[in-house]
Amino acid sequence: MIEVENLRKEYGGFTAVEGSTFSVADGEVFGVIGPNGAGKTTTLKMLAGLVEPTSGSARVAGYDAQDSEMRQYLGFLPEESPLYEDMTPISYLEFFADLYDVPSKVATDRIHDTLDRLDLDHRDRRLGDVSKGMARKVAIARSLVNDPEVLVYDEPASGLDPLTTNYIIEFTRDLAESGKTVVFSAHNLFHVESICDRVVVMNDGRIVAGGSVEEIREEHGRTEYRVYTTVDVEGAIAENGAYCRVVESMDGVEETRDLAAAAGGEVEDIQTRTPSLEDIFLELAAESPDVEGRP
Amino acid sequence: MKPDKTLRIARWEVSKNAGQLDRRTLAAIGVVLVLVAVLTPMVASKGIALDDGIYRVGVAEDSPYHDPVVEDPTFVAVEPDARAFQSGEIDVLVLPDRPPIPARSQKGQAALSELRGSVEAYNDRTMADESDFEAAFPVNVSVRYVEQNASLAASGGDSDDADSTPDDGEVGLGGGESGDGNGGDSGDGDGGSDAGESGDGSESSPSDGAVEAPSVGSGSSLFGGDTAGGTPSDITPPFPFESLVLAFAFVLPMNFVIQAYASSVLNERINDRGELLLVSPVSRGDIVAGKTLPYFLGMVAIATVTAVGIAGLTPAGGDAPLEIARTAAASVAAVVPIALLFLASSFVGAMFARSFKELTFVTVTLSVFLTSYAFIPAIFTDVHPVAAISPLTLVVRVLGGGGLALSDYAFSTLPLYLTAGVLFALGVGVYREEDMFTQRSIPLKFLDALDSQLSRPRSVAKLSALSIPFVFVAELLAVALLFALPVSVSMPVLLVVIAFIEEVAKSVGIYAGFAHARFDRSLGSVGLLGFLSGLGFFLGEKATAVAQLVGLPNLELGRAAFGTVTGLGIETSPLLLAGLLFAPLALHAVTATMTALGASRGRNRYFVALALATVVHAAYNLTVVSYVG
Repeated sequence: MIEVENLRKEYGGFTAVEGSTFSVADGEVFGVIGPNGAGKTTTLKMLAGLVEPTSGSARVAGYDAQDSEMRQYLGFLPEESPLYEDMTPISYLEFFADLYDVPSKVATDRIHDTLDRLDLDHRDRRLGDVSKGMARKVAIARSLVNDPEVLVYDEPASGLDPLTTNYIIEFTRDLAESGKTVVFSAHNLFHVESICDRVVVMNDGRIVAGGSVEEIREEHGRTEYRVYTTVDVEGAIAENGAYCRVVESMDGVEETRDLAAAAGGEVEDIQTRTPSLEDIFLELAAESPDVEGRP
Repeated sequence: MKPDKTLRIARWEVSKNAGQLDRRTLAAIGVVLVLVAVLTPMVASKGIALDDGIYRVGVAEDSPYHDPVVEDPTFVAVEPDARAFQSGEIDVLVLPDRPPIPARSQKGQAALSELRGSVEAYNDRTMADESDFEAAFPVNVSVRYVEQNASLAASGGDSDDADSTPDDGEVGLGGGESGDGNGGDSGDGDGGSDAGESGDGSESSPSDGAVEAPSVGSGSSLFGGDTAGGTPSDITPPFPFESLVLAFAFVLPMNFVIQAYASSVLNERINDRGELLLVSPVSRGDIVAGKTLPYFLGMVAIATVTAVGIAGLTPAGGDAPLEIARTAAASVAAVVPIALLFLASSFVGAMFARSFKELTFVTVTLSVFLTSYAFIPAIFTDVHPVAAISPLTLVVRVLGGGGLALSDYAFSTLPLYLTAGVLFALGVGVYREEDMFTQRSIPLKFLDALDSQLSRPRSVAKLSALSIPFVFVAELLAVALLFALPVSVSMPVLLVVIAFIEEVAKSVGIYAGFAHARFDRSLGSVGLLGFLSGLGFFLGEKATAVAQLVGLPNLELGRAAFGTVTGLGIETSPLLLAGLLFAPLALHAVTATMTALGASRGRNRYFVALALATVVHAAYNLTVVSYVG
């Protein structure tokens, strides 16, 4: 559904995105993560045809991303929800449906159905008077007025309260389950980890890791073993009345066991901690951007 | 461009903004529009009568002063009561067989002075009604107004269009009809055959080198009121008050409309609001056209209401509905390019401004500049050929009963149409995500807009050619600002200003390209860019030959501004003429290469190169004008 090849974007002398290559299959939920300034938003905007690549190509739904025809198949949600304050949710959505050549009757049904699913009331209230969460829901509804095959969401839950955030993440998951291809970025990596089939990690404009979360974890994550002993051993720290030594392999666990025995004690407990995507992300972000990653 | 999408966006623009106006505001706007439509023609036809009835004159009905007092609306005639006079209720008291007595106050003295003038005007009217016109006016002087440049040219000694020779019909003694007033047809002037066969002022026409006095409303009268005769001291210059009022009525609403339009455009740029339109299946052109259309139609609607109101209430061209419609249509046609230029420049201003505060500065500047461009020349309608540069002049002429020649229309409006088109193209070029939502200074935004039009070296030729309308408008404005000065002063200044304008036009696109690292900075690249820019400008410059369509080059400064380009008015050998025709190409290529070299080396060196190129260009202009023109 989406094919990105060696995508590059320069602003003056600044390179925002460098050599991005990835693909997204039909019905896949694809996450783009990275620190601020990593090039996530620029990448998503190039997919949406908003920003013209300096070089490389991006194809969406079989069209070049710069082809206006492509936009018929795309629903884009920017990071902010820039609505027109003097319009109502209904008039706003009807206008965009009209631009997408959606027949009036179909548009009306689709708009109300989407707003029902989003649990959005006050549909005739001025958009300038609605809450941020409601505005976000209207913006999401706008991305769906043309019933697109591809959804590109930039931080869909940015700045929202936990309740609304969860609601929107669940809604996004439902969209994916209904067969839509979703590409989205998020700061909250828990959400990415929970709903994305695959992700790419970007840093300094480059993709530094990519694949399913498990694949990334295997490739870049290190499992920690926290070995609790009854006596102090080399490298251990006192913790909750015991001594904890953190190692990264079973060999380390065995070594700790030997050290404890030599000191007249024993291993009291062993806890395994699998790294979250956030841990991996922080680690990758701290590394050199030269790390190659190809999903 | 898809018309259906454009119309949808236009409808949305209206409905979106309609929500911002409550019914009370809409009603207020409607009332204001109606007042403008109704009051403008009334003011134009009757003038602003602020002094009606301000003086009270005590005069008996059988007094010879009674009729002059009654016929002048400045006065109110009351019974000549001495007690009222002493109490200050009467400003001038007229008693039998005595001169009028003013009250002991400044107002009394002013009233007496006004009364004297009114009596003189009354006497003139009375004399004009005499059946024996020659007896009433034994000495008859016909006056025609001639182009100011004609006298300037005469002083320069290089024109045969002198103004003071009797054989050109400017002044004829005893020619019969007096001036071009509407009451001057009673005398046929059979005794005036002694001086100048074309000295019959009544037969003058603009085509013979003279310019008719304004003919709109009562201002056409040479002697102030509606008299056909009078004394030389009564002659008033042809200041077209009515023309000003009419022109003002057309331009004023535009200043309000562009505020709303520019705000709407900037609103799209605040908080990335316009991003969602950009990602929808419409082109940038559709969006801009759709957002502009309602404001353009609004301006046309206001102009139409104003034109119909004026044409209907002051039907100089005829009061038949068809005539009124024709007059109004011609007026609106002349106003359309002004409206487009207002919108185009506001659009670009809104695309460059970083905030509403900055936008206010931009739109006010545009309002002043464009209003001046349209308004000031129109003041000289039928007085001076410089008026031809403004489409408002056409409006004033049409509403005054004149025709609308296609050549005049082309000359006055083509630069504005082209300028508006180029401005819209520049604005659409930066109506994209990468430029709309960035916060850069206006000069940098301007360079971004120019850079958006550059894709390869030959683009600079296109950009230089596209700058011609701006150059033309700027040079016309320079002519308009300098024409009142003596030629010895204005000519050199104008030649330098023109050189500067043209060098900026040729080089700023190249500078934008270098600033955005679009071009190689090698000498070869600099030479190529300089030549291409010079070539593009040279080709586009020939378009200014449209100046020949009307008589602006007859104006000394017009020749200076455009003669060196077109070879206009230059009488010389074909070989030299051919050289002159192509010499500008060499000039433009050389100076553009100079500025390109400076631009490739940074901003400061660009400015130095621009100054040097201006000097070279000005020297060329001076040489051509001095030795050939």
